[in-house]
Amino acid sequence: MSGYLFSRFLQTFVTLFVMSVLVFGGLHMVGNPVDVLLSPTATPAERLEVIRSFGLDRPVWEQYWIFLGNALKGELGNSFVFNQPALDLILQRMPATLELAVTALLMALVIGIPLGIHAGLRPNSVLSKSIMTFSILGFSLPTFWIGLVMIMVFAVQLGWLPSSGRGETTEVFGVPLSVFTRDGLAHLALPAFNLALFKISLVIRITRAGVLETMQLDFVRFARAKGMPERRIVSVHVLKNTLIPLITVIGLELGSLIAFAVVTETIFAWPGMGKLIIDAIAVLDRPVILAYLMITVVMFSVINLVVDILYSVVDPRVRLEGK
Amino acid sequence: MTNPILSVQDLTTSFRVDGQWRDVIRGVAFDIQPRETVAVVGESGSGKSVTAMSIMRLLSPANSRSTGRIEFEGRNLLDLPLPDMQAIRGNRIGMIFQEPMTSLNPVLKIGDQITEVLRHHRGMSDAGAMAEAARLLDRVRIPSARQRLGEYPMNFSGGMRQRVVIAIALACSPRLLIADEPTTALDVTIQAQILELIKTLQEEEGMSVLFITHDMGVVAEVSDRTVVMYRGDVVETATTEEIFRRARHPYSRALLSAVPQLGAMRGHDRPLRFPRVDMTTGEIAPPQSTADTVRRDAAPILEVANLVTRFPIRKGILRRVVGRIHAVEDISFELRQGETLSLVGESGCGKSTTGRSLIRLEEPTGGTVSLNGHDVRKAGHSELASIRRDVQMIFQDPFESLNPRIRIGAAIAEPMIAHGLVSRRDAPARVAGLLERVGLSGEMMQRFPHEFSGGQRQRICIARALALEPRLIIADESVSALDVSVKAQVINLMLDLQERYGLGYLFISHDMAVVERISHRVAVMYLGEIVEIGPRAAVFENPRHPYTRKLIAAVPVADPSRRQRRVATAEEIRSPYRSADYVPPKRLFREVGDGHFVQIVDDEAAA
Repeated sequence: MSGYLFSRFLQTFVTLFVMSVLVFGGLHMVGNPVDVLLSPTATPAERLEVIRSFGLDRPVWEQYWIFLGNALKGELGNSFVFNQPALDLILQRMPATLELAVTALLMALVIGIPLGIHAGLRPNSVLSKSIMTFSILGFSLPTFWIGLVMIMVFAVQLGWLPSSGRGETTEVFGVPLSVFTRDGLAHLALPAFNLALFKISLVIRITRAGVLETMQLDFVRFARAKGMPERRIVSVHVLKNTLIPLITVIGLELGSLIAFAVVTETIFAWPGMGKLIIDAIAVLDRPVILAYLMITVVMFSVINLVVDILYSVVDPRVRLEGK
Repeated sequence: MTNPILSVQDLTTSFRVDGQWRDVIRGVAFDIQPRETVAVVGESGSGKSVTAMSIMRLLSPANSRSTGRIEFEGRNLLDLPLPDMQAIRGNRIGMIFQEPMTSLNPVLKIGDQITEVLRHHRGMSDAGAMAEAARLLDRVRIPSARQRLGEYPMNFSGGMRQRVVIAIALACSPRLLIADEPTTALDVTIQAQILELIKTLQEEEGMSVLFITHDMGVVAEVSDRTVVMYRGDVVETATTEEIFRRARHPYSRALLSAVPQLGAMRGHDRPLRFPRVDMTTGEIAPPQSTADTVRRDAAPILEVANLVTRFPIRKGILRRVVGRIHAVEDISFELRQGETLSLVGESGCGKSTTGRSLIRLEEPTGGTVSLNGHDVRKAGHSELASIRRDVQMIFQDPFESLNPRIRIGAAIAEPMIAHGLVSRRDAPARVAGLLERVGLSGEMMQRFPHEFSGGQRQRICIARALALEPRLIIADESVSALDVSVKAQVINLMLDLQERYGLGYLFISHDMAVVERISHRVAVMYLGEIVEIGPRAAVFENPRHPYTRKLIAAVPVADPSRRQRRVATAEEIRSPYRSADYVPPKRLFREVGDGHFVQIVDDEAAA
């Protein structure tokens, strides 16, 4: 196990390094932040001063070398725009995004698994066919369009739910969260459901496929021959086997929920990381973009590690081993 | 006459296929008396498993239906509401299935899978059920039962898993045990253990057994009465003695005559064809004897000396070699033109790896292999290709060894075109000729593999192997997956082809009775080594190595009067895994007869 963790740590480190090289090189090519940040009326002297203060007068490899040295000390540079450490900026916005993503994931599991099981057990019933139609819609309709329609219906016409912002928050261990207040929950409902819709469809499909497949296996027939009631066969024998593929996919999806909640956050004006990164890209705020992508890499690695560990808990045939 | 435990009357089961109801079994009727063992025997498609599943009502109600009466303990099982049926399953009637590898849920602990039955049917507490589960594992002779309750199925071998399945089926002391091909997937020595275990437990519990099998040897070993099924109908029901002595129905007689019987070859020097039986009249035409095909005057086509194949097992971050599978360990043999040498042994003994190592489908670790005078291990790329032309392989599974998307004509022509033996234009004529030689017709060449039965597909594989006019065919369990009657036909075909083309066969099999029928010489393999090799008659009639004797003794004899009792042991097949620094001992052989060599057993060598 310790050998396994060590090799995973090494892999993450290599990924981070490669990622930083790619992003650094890529950002260098897509334009000059000075052109965007500086007002057109700035004098050439002011312009030179800004370039020098950002360190943009040095060759790229030297800029990267300085960045690498600082990164090893845990500093990812100051935002060009806010003149604050980029990491702090991102960490301030992170709880909002995490809250949104985790809520969406829970919705996907709580709604998706039961519907998926039903569709798998009775593939020919009318309800199952409706569930599958719903999941096709969930897959194919664009998130932003559904978001806009939901705002139109629930916020504008019916007036049931607010359409933007986080609402009232409470501090839990110093982290502001919306889920513990009525107002906060009301604000969370629409964006979370909007974000969850695609994942619900995904969970339904994976669960259905898993149940359909597992129900055909010999041990289910043997469990019936043992006289086990159908309820126990489904909830113990089948579900545990279905969880195995589900865990893998869900892990990856949680990563993408967090990293790419951009669209939903923009539509519902949710003050999370996604909004920050969009703004940063617009003004070529290199340190923020870079820091954000590095954090994304770390997050994906951690989630994958957790998935692997969960996997070995659910499936005894999987043994964690360094390679 | 006492009241039967189970009485099946006029049972008809239909499946819905493409919206049409089709009968799969028709009017099946038989009784099982208390303490009696009844065998239902038949080939694939005979409906024997459907009968068992209908009794347990395990067929999906959406696309199957059963009519008739199944009377058990005074109630008609077909009329019972589902909860009552569930109270009978696993409680009053236990059931075990063919595949021990898949009957257990891979992600649940063994203990949980046993205790759920006890808690559900007998309302036991968790602790009580655990203690009872340990006792049950003990009864099916699983060593250190208590510790093993916390393990998962993957930690158990096939034989041990089948014991666990039996423990579960017997947990609530059922009145009837339904065993659906319980030993078919097991090795012969393990099969003998499991059959013995079932018999012992049956006597201890005083229960009845319904035994479903295709193996007449097993029928003769276990059953009191036998029901013969053919294409969904019961064709004959009688005591097992009567079926074997004076079977009335032609099909029963045909089935029996196609069964390779160990010991039936006494007095024959050469391989023997199976008798041909007319399925309608039941008349048996005496088998044609084979000509002497072995070319003793020429040099052997295959010479193997000190062949070793090991697979390293790597672990850790540095992928260090921590051990090796000694799949093939220092084996030597030779094979002449027109001769059949059989490699026989149980799973993991290295017989298949030997076959694959000969043409470097598996890279050998040491030794020499000489084919037609070419050194296989030193051969370069192009020389290896020409060597492989002379040696063709036929595999076990005729379903998997043909590409489902390639017409069989193209599949047979492919190797000939690749080796430049025939032009693309002339290929069809050659393919048609080959198909006719294996008993199919040339018009079939445009068909896809799924349009053929298992036996026909194996014929296609043989035609493909013959396409390159090889001198040696390596047949790796080539008839093991076939039904008895089809198996007999394919073996007859192989003998015909040997006579006609002087083919050498390396026949790899676990089936002692088939090996006895087809071979000139036999090599017995155990843990990667040949422990005994010699002429067929010498090895079978005068086995000298303890393992050969054990193997022969374990084969069920298809003769109820020669029924034997064995001691129910829980011995496992040993693994050829060794630590990285293991140096195998040098083995010595003793010649005990003309060309009959036996490995000197350790204690004998020490003396």
